[in-house]
Amino acid sequence: MKKIILSAFAGLALSSAAMADYPTKDIQGIIQWGAGGSTDTVMRSVSPHAEEVLGTDIILTNRTGGVGAIATKYVNAKQADGYTLLMGAENPQMYKVLGLADIDYSDMIPVNVLARGIPLLVAQNDAPFDTMQEMIDYIKANPGAVKVGSTGKGGLASIVMAMIQSEVDLDVTTVPYNGDGPALTALQGGAIDVMPAVLGAAVQHVKAGRMKAIALVDKESNPVVPDTAPIVDALPGLSTYLPYGPFFGVFVKQGTPDDVVAKLSEAFSVGAESEDFQNLMQSRGYGVMNLSGDAAVDFLENYRSVSSWLVHDAGFAKHSPEEFDIPRP
Amino acid sequence: MDSLSYFALSWMSPELLALTALGTFLGIYVGAIPGLSVTMAVSILISFTFSWDVNHALCLMVGIFMGGVYGGSRTAILLNIPGAPSAIATALDGYPLAKQGLAGEAIGLSTVMSVIGGFVGILVLALAAPTISEFAITFQPRDYLMLAILGITLVGSLSTGSLAKGMFAGALGVLVGTVGLDPLTAEERFTFGVIELWDGINVIAAMIGLFGVSEALHQLHHLDKTIIKQKINRIIPPWADVRRYLPLSIQSSFIGVIIGALPGTGGDIAALMAYDQAKRSTKNPKVPFGKGAKEGLIAPEAANNAAVGGAYIPMLTLGIPGDAVTAVFIGALFIHGLNPGPLLLVEQPHMFWFTVGNLTLANIFVLIFGLTGIRIFSKIVECPKAVMIPLILLLSIVGAYAINNSVVDVWWMLAFGVLGYFMRLYNYPVGPVILGLILSKLMDENWRRAILSERGDMGSFFANLFTSPLSCVLLAAILFAFFSQTPIWQRWLKPKLLSR
Repeated sequence: MKKIILSAFAGLALSSAAMADYPTKDIQGIIQWGAGGSTDTVMRSVSPHAEEVLGTDIILTNRTGGVGAIATKYVNAKQADGYTLLMGAENPQMYKVLGLADIDYSDMIPVNVLARGIPLLVAQNDAPFDTMQEMIDYIKANPGAVKVGSTGKGGLASIVMAMIQSEVDLDVTTVPYNGDGPALTALQGGAIDVMPAVLGAAVQHVKAGRMKAIALVDKESNPVVPDTAPIVDALPGLSTYLPYGPFFGVFVKQGTPDDVVAKLSEAFSVGAESEDFQNLMQSRGYGVMNLSGDAAVDFLENYRSVSSWLVHDAGFAKHSPEEFDIPRP
Repeated sequence: MDSLSYFALSWMSPELLALTALGTFLGIYVGAIPGLSVTMAVSILISFTFSWDVNHALCLMVGIFMGGVYGGSRTAILLNIPGAPSAIATALDGYPLAKQGLAGEAIGLSTVMSVIGGFVGILVLALAAPTISEFAITFQPRDYLMLAILGITLVGSLSTGSLAKGMFAGALGVLVGTVGLDPLTAEERFTFGVIELWDGINVIAAMIGLFGVSEALHQLHHLDKTIIKQKINRIIPPWADVRRYLPLSIQSSFIGVIIGALPGTGGDIAALMAYDQAKRSTKNPKVPFGKGAKEGLIAPEAANNAAVGGAYIPMLTLGIPGDAVTAVFIGALFIHGLNPGPLLLVEQPHMFWFTVGNLTLANIFVLIFGLTGIRIFSKIVECPKAVMIPLILLLSIVGAYAINNSVVDVWWMLAFGVLGYFMRLYNYPVGPVILGLILSKLMDENWRRAILSERGDMGSFFANLFTSPLSCVLLAAILFAFFSQTPIWQRWLKPKLLSR
């Protein structure tokens, strides 16, 4: 009996000490997307560096499904102790307006927003236009003739097209694909003419001359594609939405103690600054963000309000952003 | 001369040689366990080999890939549980062979044919990669649709007995394949608001249930049956056999390479199509297909290993993955600081011949490891039923859980097991269900993509169909597949044409 009481006390002491000594055991990292995808690659390359700082193992598991909602719900069903991390992409920020789930990143604590992708508008080599303005003129002269690839409603391509449509009315034929990769393959095979993709996915093909870059969907040009003009040159009105792009981040459940969040943020920040990670992000055409705390929250809020209102105005939101008090950008 | 030295890189270095051997060995066992996929193994290795030299990491991964694709046939032959979807067709004739006491011979033959298929794939990769990859990316959505329709005609080959029952099973598979978020619009279909159904019903879970669990349940009827002694004196197939089946295995390998090189299809469809082709072209099999025809074992095994070389074709030349595993390889190359893409061969000229050499090496190890230990393996079939049946169930549960670390898949697997049991009881073939499940997505997506590209205009859909040579050839193949089953062809035209 004495032994049990003693060990119970020891347990109590240990659990209160755990707060200060976090982490005392392995951390579970739940990746929203499948093995080998971009989210998976980013998380698997940053985690070894964070492990070194934390002095413990981060066990990575892919829990795919439901556009990332299954992993998001899974992490939120666990304890808010910092031992279960959600390693995700931008998708949850659209769940509410698209009616996919009632939870998004504003209901969680961001540990670190690691990196952001920059959208690039590419066209197949035979397309009779080379710049944004020429493309707009061509589409206006030939309504319906240009086929634009997409990755489904709410995907990056649909948001970029919605941004452009908010400035000029263009009649294009949209053909959906399961992601950037298959769409860019179809572009090279001539099945589609134009595709808004992530810079990193397209840049190697552009450099090899297998497709051409029309515009960079950002405020400024990028050293990776120095000759491509930013889209605001042709459509200055878009600057209210930018910078915009898919991102990768690490999150914990709401209610996780502050010192635990701080420790995790620091660890992932070191990981994001590591040379390996910087090189990887540069080669894939992502910009390292390394945001935590309020800066991360601000970025996430802006992303949510831009995409929610764009899909709402484009007419394919299930719920109005107003229902969730999402302000207009 | 440079290319030769790159080719031999992994042959000369003892470390690389050992890693390739280790990878192949592990791959055979990973591939043999249903639910553990090569894709999964390779992506876990990415974080494991993070700090290694890139060549070392690649040797291990290439070995796993080559060994894994082959390994799927082991459990298919011995237990009727395909280790991966690409081994489904192998189970159709491989398992009957094991039941006849010929497991050892079946494994030996499948090993040799896998290796021949692997070599054909590598040879095509080495000689014709740029041409084939340019051809592969010209496949339009309507061409993928045609390919899927051609695939669905396989129901005929997979139905032993009643064609009507086969078509029913195939349609059931197509229906099950439509469950989940609509791939193009993310609209929910048959999900009943259950989030776990968003991603649809997992093909591998259904496969383990329909093949493995239903077989285990079926075995309960035959508990008193005496166990068949396995003949293990003939393991390595005699040269005469290899030579006789060589034309078939080469023909199947070419199907495998092309289907493998297409970015939208992989080894599973390749193996099924090769099986179908073998069934059509083999005039007088010694044993009927589905009852243990060696032709039915050879064709899919040669095709799925040839698809490995095929999958590398667009990946190495254009940076476009040929299947799920090569997609993970692309991620691995990124992590190691290389830029896999159309410039890979310019920036890293050694990569192509290094990979070709490494694949060749891994293929040789498949032969070595594949032909050793068969005696012990074929003893598995001699296990008493009371040990065997619980073992199959356990393996099935572990395998189903391993797919996504999710209990939901285990329930689906068990449900499909019970369904498969009743289907067997009433002589419904289970193969077409999986076929429908695999092809459902391909058909669904590409039909809609094709018609969306034409803005819903059927007229221009058919106009483009007849103006594209590729689409015309595929259409002709579909028409022939149907026509060749009509009495006009069977009784009148075929004897006339063939007697000449």
